[in-house]
Amino acid sequence: MLQYLIILLDKESVSFCSTPPKGERGGGLMPLETLRQGIRFGMMENLMIQYVYPDKELSKEYAEVIESIDHSKIKSLPQSLLKEGRMDADVWVTESIKDIKAEVPVVWRTDKQNLFNSEADIVCALENVPRLNVVLTDVETFTDEDFEKYKQLLSALAKHIEKLYVEGKAPQLNLLTDRMMLQKMNNCGAGDTTITLAPNGKFYVCPAFFYEDESDSIGDLENGLDIKNKQLYKLEYAPICRHCDAYQCKRCIWLNRKTTLEVNTPSHEQCVLAHLERNASRELLNNIRKHGTFLPEQEDIKEIDYLDPFDKRDTWQ
Amino acid sequence: MTWEIAKQAIDYVLNNEQEFREESVTWDFIGGEPFLEIDLIDKICDYIKTEMYRRNHHWFNSYRFSFSTNGINYHTEKVQNFIKKNQEHLSIGITIDGTKKKHDLNRIYKGKDGKGSYDDVVKNIPLYLKQFKNAGTKVTISSPDIPYIIESVLHLYKLGIKDIHINCVFEDVWKDGDDILFEEQLLSLADVIICKGYYKNHNCSFFLETIGKPLNPKTQNTTWCGAGQMLAIDATGNFYPCMRFAGYSLRSKKPIIIGNIYDGIDKNKLRPFLTLDRITQSPKECIDCEVASGCAWCQGENYDAAETNTIYQRATAICKMHKARVRANNYYWNKLYRKLELEGEREEFEKNKCEVKPEIC
Repeated sequence: MLQYLIILLDKESVSFCSTPPKGERGGGLMPLETLRQGIRFGMMENLMIQYVYPDKELSKEYAEVIESIDHSKIKSLPQSLLKEGRMDADVWVTESIKDIKAEVPVVWRTDKQNLFNSEADIVCALENVPRLNVVLTDVETFTDEDFEKYKQLLSALAKHIEKLYVEGKAPQLNLLTDRMMLQKMNNCGAGDTTITLAPNGKFYVCPAFFYEDESDSIGDLENGLDIKNKQLYKLEYAPICRHCDAYQCKRCIWLNRKTTLEVNTPSHEQCVLAHLERNASRELLNNIRKHGTFLPEQEDIKEIDYLDPFDKRDTWQ
Repeated sequence: MTWEIAKQAIDYVLNNEQEFREESVTWDFIGGEPFLEIDLIDKICDYIKTEMYRRNHHWFNSYRFSFSTNGINYHTEKVQNFIKKNQEHLSIGITIDGTKKKHDLNRIYKGKDGKGSYDDVVKNIPLYLKQFKNAGTKVTISSPDIPYIIESVLHLYKLGIKDIHINCVFEDVWKDGDDILFEEQLLSLADVIICKGYYKNHNCSFFLETIGKPLNPKTQNTTWCGAGQMLAIDATGNFYPCMRFAGYSLRSKKPIIIGNIYDGIDKNKLRPFLTLDRITQSPKECIDCEVASGCAWCQGENYDAAETNTIYQRATAICKMHKARVRANNYYWNKLYRKLELEGEREEFEKNKCEVKPEIC
């Protein structure tokens, strides 16, 4: 069931997920009338609106229209504000977390190499932001060697997080703490719970679908939504994912299509990364519980002998 | 396909033995018409055999070469020499659609004023049956072929072909009333097969006891088609999950290329094929269908006909034809078993009946 409407206020709105970076998209502010119609659509469909901002300043007229409905704002975090912690967004997106300080959740888009070299910065950020969402921008390039490095990094970070929990703090790092809290899948939702309205007045499965191919729309404001094979965006129609308990997995629909050509099928790399996170979360949960009662209502995360559920398909096919 | 491409393709497959763990292999040559390239094929097969031996490959002595041919060149010296050389490891299917009229509807020479190939094929059938005693043929039915089903099947029986694999095309070619015509043809065919006793030692895959039953969504959830469990290689060295996904086989969709002889298989692109199941790709009407068993699909046609670029949307153009087949099939088995019971021959029949496998592709 649809719940969220992402409105890209500009063609150069910030990339906050696996969406390719702005690059040479060219600017293009959403016309004010399109924005009004988009908001109206969201209200009529009872959708929570998330505005994605470009770096540039928007006029007062836009600000007024934007404020006409309850919403959340996703913005990029300028370097100048890194240390100041000045807030005018509900989610900040950044390409660097060095010395970061914020009072709202931060999305950090990074490639693997930068991630592997950033253990200290992540540990520091966890004390200075309420939540850190790490988004890897090169998932499809991971090799076995990278998986090992990722595993080691998660293990190291889990030790820091355990220490913070013992100190009475509750840091949130999507890669490690989400799975401890979840009892069912909590993934991307593109095409199922979330759709995107682009500046051209057309709907897309997610921003990445718009940036990749503008003709790949799923309806427009004039004629409404037309999501073909809508069921394939749902978990029940994803043969690998519906058997999986890496509940924190991003399950990026766009990456699925890019790597396997099907929106309902994740790549090997995405599955392995999600399971390394899951297993590290398991260790973290078990270790925190050694210090006392922790999330008593939450079931143990089971030990498993695989990293890619695809390899276990014989057990559920 | 050049020799260089063919050799590299074979090397890729044999070099990656750990990726191809199946006990046996079928090297399948499909065309165009494979026997037009008999010199190349002979060289390829020699290379495969030599390399499997040289590498002590687990497929050595556990392989077949398979051909789907139009049969026109079957008698030629080169083809016959090839057959003699590889007889123990050969499967050859000659495609003959039935009577001259039916066959020549679809199988026409290029640039010969619409001349059909029936006469040139049928003269090779005795030799073919001599060399492959249990050989069968594959017949495909499209809308214009329906009136010729009975005469075609009986004609093939008369030629000595006892095993007929016959199926309707999966594409959306069916006109209003085709299912009724189809049903009438099958009912009459059932009468003839039973009255003339063909059921004793002939097969026609239209009539199968297993079809026309509901399917359990949990225990009978496997996909029908084998796309993705085979590796198809085109003349330029690209890999496909089946040739139906090559550009020349598709009407409107982009080809699904899963790798090539230089870079190998992109396993991520195989994942959707290897995790497909019946329920996930079927609409509710198929899941709830009371006569679902035996209703086939082609993954390539599903993809070609789908509203989006997916293999997960089952095409249902064949639905009314399947239901007609099920009605005729029910009639066939009820009539046959009643006859056998009345004549006290049912037990004997059950003991001797041979298994006919459903046509897959």
